[in-house]
Amino acid sequence: MDMRKTADLFAPPMDPISDGRLTLEGFSVAARAFADKWKRHNQSFPPWSWVPLINRTLLVSNKQEEGYLSLEKIFILSSLEESPEEESLDVTPDFLDKEESIDHTILVQNVENEAHYYDFHIVYSASYGVPVLYFRGYCSDGKPLSLDVIKKDLPSSSVSLLLESKWTFITQEEHPYLNRPWFKLHPCGTEEWIKLLSQRSSSGGCQMPVELYLVSWFSVVGQVVGLRITLEMLN
Amino acid sequence: MDEVETPQTILQFAPFNSSVDEGFWHSFSSLKLDKLGIDDSPIPITGFYAPCSHPQVSNHLTLLSESLPSDDEQSSMESTSHGNRNKCPVPGILYNTNTVESFNKLDKQSLLKAEAKKIWEDIQSGKAVEDCSLLSRFLVISFADLKKWSFRYWFAFPALVLDPPASLVELKPASEYFSVEEAESVSAACNDWRDSNLTTDVPFFLVSVSSDSKATIRHLKDWESCQGDHQKLLFGFYDPCHLSSNPGWPLRNYLALIRSRWNLETVWFFCYRESRGFADLNLSLVGQALVTLSSAETAPNSVGWELNKGKRVPRSISLANSMDPTRLAVSACDLNLKLMRWRALPSLNLNVLSSVKCLLLGAGTLGCQVARTLMGWGIRNITFVDYGKVAMSNPVRQSLYTFEDCVGRGEFKAVAAVKSLKQIFPAMESTGVVMAIPMPGHPISSQEEESVLGDCKRLSDLIESHDAVFLLTDTRESRWLPSLLCANANKIAINAALGFDSYMVMRHGAGPTTSLSDDMQNLDMNKTKTQRLGCYFCNDVVAPQDSMTDRTLDQQCTVTRPGLAPIAGALAVELLVGVLQHPFGIYAKGDNSSSSNGGNIDDSPLGILPHQIRGSVSQFSQITLLGQASNSCTACSETVISEYRERGNSFILEAINHPTYLEDLTGLTELKKAANSFNLDWEDDDTDDDDDVAVDM
Repeated sequence: MDMRKTADLFAPPMDPISDGRLTLEGFSVAARAFADKWKRHNQSFPPWSWVPLINRTLLVSNKQEEGYLSLEKIFILSSLEESPEEESLDVTPDFLDKEESIDHTILVQNVENEAHYYDFHIVYSASYGVPVLYFRGYCSDGKPLSLDVIKKDLPSSSVSLLLESKWTFITQEEHPYLNRPWFKLHPCGTEEWIKLLSQRSSSGGCQMPVELYLVSWFSVVGQVVGLRITLEMLN
Repeated sequence: MDEVETPQTILQFAPFNSSVDEGFWHSFSSLKLDKLGIDDSPIPITGFYAPCSHPQVSNHLTLLSESLPSDDEQSSMESTSHGNRNKCPVPGILYNTNTVESFNKLDKQSLLKAEAKKIWEDIQSGKAVEDCSLLSRFLVISFADLKKWSFRYWFAFPALVLDPPASLVELKPASEYFSVEEAESVSAACNDWRDSNLTTDVPFFLVSVSSDSKATIRHLKDWESCQGDHQKLLFGFYDPCHLSSNPGWPLRNYLALIRSRWNLETVWFFCYRESRGFADLNLSLVGQALVTLSSAETAPNSVGWELNKGKRVPRSISLANSMDPTRLAVSACDLNLKLMRWRALPSLNLNVLSSVKCLLLGAGTLGCQVARTLMGWGIRNITFVDYGKVAMSNPVRQSLYTFEDCVGRGEFKAVAAVKSLKQIFPAMESTGVVMAIPMPGHPISSQEEESVLGDCKRLSDLIESHDAVFLLTDTRESRWLPSLLCANANKIAINAALGFDSYMVMRHGAGPTTSLSDDMQNLDMNKTKTQRLGCYFCNDVVAPQDSMTDRTLDQQCTVTRPGLAPIAGALAVELLVGVLQHPFGIYAKGDNSSSSNGGNIDDSPLGILPHQIRGSVSQFSQITLLGQASNSCTACSETVISEYRERGNSFILEAINHPTYLEDLTGLTELKKAANSFNLDWEDDDTDDDDDVAVDM
């Protein structure tokens, strides 16, 4: 027994994917591959960028660079609905009385359609061993969108997916690096369905290559938030 | 250059729009709380913007968390060094006030003027040519309410007003102005400019196109070298605006600069806009403006306060949901329960749990454990009734109390328990009532009558105003009145009692004179109506009397094995939740864990719903029991309830003062006499454990 334990110390590095779970290094590799394929084959969207985490402690020999994928300021136009949250500010709008007597050089704009912006981050979860999709929405003036509003922006197919599937649901939790609540697709089911995906795609018992892990993962997860991958990415 | 025959229209600029990322407010709040305190001196900040990147939406001047000055040397998570094409930095200043009154009293007029003067001076001195982002200097006033986590703010984008205003000769897409070769060269030059770290965030530049259609982009400070070698010279700038009919705000101060430094009357300008990360000459505009030279040395007037939906009022944002720690705790706990529902119990009704009001009679070992477990289920409304104070021996067994509660004269348990709950979860709604529960068999004097009856009324009101009652006191007789009142009001009652090494947890059946609603009757529940589940006293043939000495099940908790209270308290709560989730609620039949047809498991997502649970730690065993209501019960039988309803207080007083009154009333006296003479066959005997049925013969 002891001999075997010692042998483990010198064992080759873990498989990047085992049983649907991903190692940290595996995630880094898979993330770059994903971003690369996306840029090449999915040009209707802007590219994902890799945000490295600057490691303040030098304890970990940083051959593995920690970080996450970021895709920001995806926006959709939504019709201008009632905005009831505007708490009556009980201010009298006579602030700028004398000054600014109508300046004709300022274009008077009608309030247009409201644009909703979305940021997406793909972050590695060490406790679940899988990637997690975090996202948030906000108006053009920076005001964050509530989940109810966000759900209205989601494609109708995803709303039913959320209701029916027991593997995808949205929760609100602290973003691991930004210290603010973001929405995320809860990862507790990921391991299970990734296993199913890789079983189906692999033939003759060979494993899913790590480069394709995120692509496969995103092919499911992205649908929930209306981001689609293209078929070429799966090659 | 050209003859100006077209009628001149006044050049109108699309206003700049602001956007404040949530992260900015988070960082600013920390800065204020940790460092600034009440210091309200102006803070230099950095805004970010980029050229328009979409034909339908303008870009904004954005404040991010890195807009604030940071004093630590380590770079932040989202490191923004110079050279980020999407974040061209622009200097600004923030005036934050400490009260809303001082916010309203700020002299916006002079603040704007002061910033505009800085721009003017930078133009005059040439600094703006060296660092052109100074042309877009901005100002923000704000009031941060760090108790409510709401922020009121107002942006100003100071623009020097040209007098007379500039006029627009023509404006067209850049692709129509340039020839095809020129356009190609301009695009390429722009893309190079944008791709280089050194120039990508320089928002104002010169575009010169030579006679052989070669475009060159230069810094403003290279103006001299631009002279002569061009056929076309345009003043380019990153235009955040998307409109095809108007240029964006940055052009205003740009024109002021051009007029002042280079004395030009005709200005060809280039509104640079992008799409998909590349120069877009269809979206970009080229225009010709006419300005009137002025020899004035004094700063012109300025405008620039941002409108809020067309009105001259500040903007505000509330971030309580993401910043208020109590709200964060609430949503975290809610999430936990939702996860349970999503992953394991999809039909769990969480709303009924968050709205149920629980009354805990007794705040001792059982009361503390019950309260803690209720909180775990998301139950937020808990009332404690307890007469005692926290004693020195309590904190080790009663999980809501600490040493501090018993120091000195000791805190009242009901009060200390409430305080403890709020410390655990600030959103708890909890009250404590310091009151003794009137007990039968403990006679009172006539002077005490009034106050005792007052306590009865108070107890009755409390039971009426709650949905579920836990009987967790340390004597048998103190459970009598609550049992009666619950049966009378048809409230869910959960009873837990401890012996030295055994426990009993049960739910009382529905009250006797209640009737099911019509729908339930249609479900053929008529049988249930006559087969009410029993209460704590149904099993017993003896009326509750003074029992403080020798009744096993009700000895003082201090002589029970410590493991029992947590077990019994937890079971009591799980039993309540089972009742609340069951479609028939208090009318649910009792299941037995052994019998296969003991209740339809589909009725409740949680599993079976027993009537009684008894267990012991000496055997590490647990069984479920089923007991029907007894017609001779001294607490819940029809006889007793109707007597209570008829005679009220006098009934209660008699029960309290006369030891055999209840037995006489219910016929137990007769029963005992009969039992003395021959053996009896209990018809409703489903109970196995005769040992626990007290028969005082």
